Amino acid sequence: MKFNPKKIRKTILDMAYAGSSVHIGCAFSIVELLSVLYEKHLSYPNNNPLSEKRDYFILSKGHGVMAQYACMKELSWLSNEDIVNYFSDGSDLKGLADSHTIGIEATSGSLGHGFSVGVGIAMGAKMRKIQQKTYVLVGDGEINEGPIWEGVLFAAHHELSNLMIIVDENGFQAMGRTQDIIGLDSIQSKFESFGFDAMTVDGHDRVAIDKAITKFWKDNSVRPKALIAKTLKGKGVDFMEDDNRWHYTRLDKESYRMAIQSLNKGDS
Amino acid sequence: MRKTLSNALVDLGKSDPNILLLTGDHGYALFDDFRRECPKQYINAGIAEQNMVGMAAGLARLGFRPIVYGLSAFIPIRVLEQIKIDIAHDRLPVIFIGDGAGFVYSHLGTSHQSIEDIACSRVIPNLSVYSPADRFELTQCLSSAYQDGSSIYLRIGKDGLGDVHHFPPKIKIGDLVKVNSASQSKYSFIATGSMVKTAIDISNNLPEAIDVWSAPFIKPIDNLMVEKILRDSEAVVTFEEHSKYGGLGSLVAEISAESLPRKILKVAANDRFSQRCGTYQYLLKEHKLDFSTIHKNVHNFLKGE
Repeated sequence: MKFNPKKIRKTILDMAYAGSSVHIGCAFSIVELLSVLYEKHLSYPNNNPLSEKRDYFILSKGHGVMAQYACMKELSWLSNEDIVNYFSDGSDLKGLADSHTIGIEATSGSLGHGFSVGVGIAMGAKMRKIQQKTYVLVGDGEINEGPIWEGVLFAAHHELSNLMIIVDENGFQAMGRTQDIIGLDSIQSKFESFGFDAMTVDGHDRVAIDKAITKFWKDNSVRPKALIAKTLKGKGVDFMEDDNRWHYTRLDKESYRMAIQSLNKGDS
Repeated sequence: MRKTLSNALVDLGKSDPNILLLTGDHGYALFDDFRRECPKQYINAGIAEQNMVGMAAGLARLGFRPIVYGLSAFIPIRVLEQIKIDIAHDRLPVIFIGDGAGFVYSHLGTSHQSIEDIACSRVIPNLSVYSPADRFELTQCLSSAYQDGSSIYLRIGKDGLGDVHHFPPKIKIGDLVKVNSASQSKYSFIATGSMVKTAIDISNNLPEAIDVWSAPFIKPIDNLMVEKILRDSEAVVTFEEHSKYGGLGSLVAEISAESLPRKILKVAANDRFSQRCGTYQYLLKEHKLDFSTIHKNVHNFLKGE
């Protein structure tokens, strides 16, 4: 099935407006990454999110969960009612990734948790000699967290070649630019020095993302993989792009209308 | 208890290939037998406890049965959030063993001493807390934990204090076990872990008729059984090598406040870190948990009744 980034962003805006929720920019930066993963790489036999033969995708940066919900709607794992009732009293979908939602593998939002869960799944899959792959998407701000690097050391030592970490390098964290808070310099060289195969791509170029992921798996390397995706926080709506206010700003009627207008005008 | 723990782990590992033993580079010779008997089921996760617990969640999701070992200062204290979010939130079948609880590492200071672990773990939803007193209770607790298949913290205190039971007691999850019985007793002691032995010794050195109970399960605990003990007693003394806040004494006081008010003396560590270094016995004395200080305090408490 084909995923249309513009449609996914429209669903995100609908949810954010319906629920008066924050974290729109965090969701927009990972739309192309998620759409390529769900469209081309993640296997869910019979479209069953609980299939024992599924690949595992963990959104460790739980703040981007609206993008995942939007993809889950495309897969018919969520209904239109789920979207329009977002954040209504008694509804199920939370503002951060929660494993009680079918289709979401781990609870995140407290950052630096999901990657270790993914390392455990990849380790278990290797021990069981099963072929499913594990992908974990983390934020660049999130890799401030110590357990990420504990897991990176472990994954490299145990040659978890079935594990891929994807870093959404949008250059921001909650309170500002990553370079002004804890500078990360070259994320790719950090992962390489820890024993990962690593590549950097334009995180909004669907073809480049697909090619990079395919190449990683084709290489047959024993190393775990790190895909560094250079992205734009707020990508897709001109007045949100690279503006960190949309980490926390909520939509009102007028800004929702302008956002939809900008989205329709743009090419992503 | 260490030999018993080692044997129980080997038995579990051999009976179920899904059992995995994870350690954060702790345990020293404790795991020699397990490593020999079940080498593919042993993972030294390195000095990286947070990642270890997250990994245990991932492994449990694939059907493994992780047993995560560490010192109780680290498991559960250092990794409390991982236990909450990654494990207990989903009721994953992971057993956490926190060894050396209380003042076992008496020479090593605050970082290795642990009087907060019961309080911190028992407030986490879905997480059970077991606290065996001797090798018999340890075997029972581990077996119950495995069969229960939920998220469990198992606290192990000072080794080598001797048995409190003469033979394996028949217990089910939540039970309290009577370890010393007096005819026409007016008072009850409820103790857990390393302090059960002390509670028995104190009761044997007081003129009053006292029933002594061991509480190998802090959570869940059989509330009705605790209520019955309260009902049958004029006063109750609780014993634990743990802070007086949030542990067994608090638990008994909570049940008492909700059901049957009784005067309760909590024999527990005061709200302070250790000041000095010394033997285990020295540290107990510093925290007023040595035999003679407890004896005096309990004696005065019962006299006042």
